[in-house]
Amino acid sequence: MSDRDRQGAPRQAPGWQPSNWQAPLELEPVRPGPGANEATPQTEPTGDDAGKFANLSLSHWNWTVPGFIGGVLALILVALAFDASDLLSRAFASSYAFGAAVAGLVALVVIAALKLAVDEVISVRRLRRIDALRDEANQLLAADGHGAAGAFATTVSRFYRDRTDIAPTIETLNASINDAHNDREIITLIDRQVLAPIDQSAYNSVLRASRDTAIATALSPSAALDVVIVLWRNLKLVREVATLYGAKPGRFGSWRLMRRMLGNLAVAGVAEGLSHVAVDALGGSIAAAISTKLGQGMVNGLLTARVGVATMVLCRPVAFTAENRPGLRRIRTELLNVPKEVL
Amino acid sequence: MSTKFPDWNNLAGFGEKVLDQALGHVGTLAGRMLEGNVRLGVTGLRRAGKTVFVTSLIDNLIRGGRLPFMDVVAGNRFLAARLRSSPDRSAPRFAYEKYLANLTAAPPHWPAATSGVAQLRMALRYVPGSSMRRSIQPISTLNVDVIDYPGEWLMDLPMLNQSFADWSALTLELLEHEPRRQIGARWLHWLSTIAPDKRADETATKEGASLYTDYLHACRRSQANLSLVQPGRFLEPGELAGSPVLTFCPLPLPEATARPGSLWEVMSERFDDYKHNVVRKFFVEHFSRLDRQIVLVDVLGMLNAGPAALHDMRMALTACLEAFRHGRGGWLSKLTGGQIDKVLFAATKADHIAASQHGNLKNLLDMLVSEARNAIRFEGATVDTMALAAVKCTETVTTEHQGRKLACIQGTPLGRQKPTVLFPGSIPDGPDLFPEDVAQPYRFMDFEPPAGVGRDGRGLPNIRLDQALNFLLGDRLV
Repeated sequence: MSDRDRQGAPRQAPGWQPSNWQAPLELEPVRPGPGANEATPQTEPTGDDAGKFANLSLSHWNWTVPGFIGGVLALILVALAFDASDLLSRAFASSYAFGAAVAGLVALVVIAALKLAVDEVISVRRLRRIDALRDEANQLLAADGHGAAGAFATTVSRFYRDRTDIAPTIETLNASINDAHNDREIITLIDRQVLAPIDQSAYNSVLRASRDTAIATALSPSAALDVVIVLWRNLKLVREVATLYGAKPGRFGSWRLMRRMLGNLAVAGVAEGLSHVAVDALGGSIAAAISTKLGQGMVNGLLTARVGVATMVLCRPVAFTAENRPGLRRIRTELLNVPKEVL
Repeated sequence: MSTKFPDWNNLAGFGEKVLDQALGHVGTLAGRMLEGNVRLGVTGLRRAGKTVFVTSLIDNLIRGGRLPFMDVVAGNRFLAARLRSSPDRSAPRFAYEKYLANLTAAPPHWPAATSGVAQLRMALRYVPGSSMRRSIQPISTLNVDVIDYPGEWLMDLPMLNQSFADWSALTLELLEHEPRRQIGARWLHWLSTIAPDKRADETATKEGASLYTDYLHACRRSQANLSLVQPGRFLEPGELAGSPVLTFCPLPLPEATARPGSLWEVMSERFDDYKHNVVRKFFVEHFSRLDRQIVLVDVLGMLNAGPAALHDMRMALTACLEAFRHGRGGWLSKLTGGQIDKVLFAATKADHIAASQHGNLKNLLDMLVSEARNAIRFEGATVDTMALAAVKCTETVTTEHQGRKLACIQGTPLGRQKPTVLFPGSIPDGPDLFPEDVAQPYRFMDFEPPAGVGRDGRGLPNIRLDQALNFLLGDRLV
């Protein structure tokens, strides 16, 4: 017997309650649905984001550039295939064993190329998933509702399921979330309990990399070596940071990460040019040369740090908030110690 | 070689040792001086849930397993909390163990209403967040003093600024309106039979006071659940039961100046006596040095009781918050007795509604306390509002009802044995709370504490207690 039946449904005042007002009532405790924030086993979303954008810009899709690049690549592939078959036939003509060896080499190259391509595709997909997660988190935060973030927490924990180092924090997260938390609170909990420790180690990686770059470029004798050091250390840093966040970047990472790094390299070249101008202006004394070298090192260190922080921003499944956004302050103070270490 | 008998050949080494020790002592001394103290005022009208809140607060801090939103816990800097004996010996210790035993008993039950003041000190040990503070003191301690008292006594605070004439006028004005006029009919009748400027007769005085006390009790029991009932000691006398200081009642202002020995004079004297020796004493001892304050408001109970109760509660809250001095405590005010620089208004018993309604509950509380909040903000203190539950008794579940999805709660209603699922009703998001033509739009139920609560050793389950604590204490635990 419900309260509603006993007391009679209250008449509804027009313009008072929201249109779907429901009087208090008691229900049979048979089988309630899953709790609001209980992790619901949810099927993997099928398909990808392609459908979302399919009808966006097809009408004035410019085919020339992709057509050109794709065509050239296809032509190169065809040429390579012809060359390879030609090579194979010539090798087999000279001797069977030699032919087999060359065939093995060709197979190795093809398989390695395929593996690389698959890895790249996987890495791009993982980055896309991180982007999708971040979008979802932003939407949930904007909606400021209740009951939807439980599924998001499940997705995040599934994203990190093969990471043994994150497993304990995921466990803490699951223990902390209860049905009373709203979406904003759950995302804050994910942010603080799962991602904050990752931020910490990522920031330490950035700190290390920027110090390494600063010292190495301060000590390196030539500009060309500077570029190589910066390139190598930045690549390594991007891979380190992205791996920490579970992005598993491929050989080239994503184009966005690459673009950031290319910009960085360009500035490294500029720093080199400027330092020469400065040494010339100061009359090329040794002290001036040393100080410009040191200054260059610090500039490169800072730039590396910026690349690292940019990677952190790009690879984080929940966007940084104003409070926990990583700053360059600590890195800057660390870099100010570099001259002492070098001299 | 021990430091007691210095090696005369190695005076420098001895000096170094002594210096080291001295520095060590200075360090510990400085550490002890750096030990922070916070007096947390748990304010709330009657039945707002002060005792349960304090119990849950202590239990959660001691066990520390359900406070993910406290920065100090999230940053893994929280070490442990312990109960300490309170430096103030005048008030009895808060019987935390007894209340916790009540809540965790089989079957569990709520602690009985508080009838006297009690206090407790907790020491929180934590690792400071900044490296500079860590180098001075690797482990810091914050002492938190919490006091618990009957909510009725809070209503005495506004009386401090009133004379007997003011207070009488205000009280009699309240009695002109329903539902008080009907509840106080018998006392009003007595009032019409006496003349305040006539000579006082002790039996008449006693009769008036006892009728007035009856009226106050009836107000408290009434359907309308009235909050503005003064003086509070008439309801919860504490150690003053039967004392002559409690025999007075408001009187209409006599036309002529009252002669010495008249009823007005006698009552007025007793009122002043009550004000100075009871209210001021309590206020000075326990409330004047508060640093932080949480105001617990039972919004759902007031909605159940109807518009009169809500209006009454609003007046009561505004009146008693005026008595607190709020504002950013500068160094001077810290020396002379602190000022409250953070106030949290909390709608308690948030577990009596589905979690999706918490936003609306918070908005409603915002609306109810807007005046008091603006006044406190104006004085420079930080104010926040929150919907919380000190002990979470229900689970939010979604059920299908007539083809619609409803956010329901699952729990054991008060007085029953079996848990049930019920849709508790919703809180409107607009300002029109009580429609004209719906007799009783709200029927939020009370719940029993869930069986086996707190048995997992992580602390009593709660809703947003951690966020409340972080707001109130977070900046002292950095």
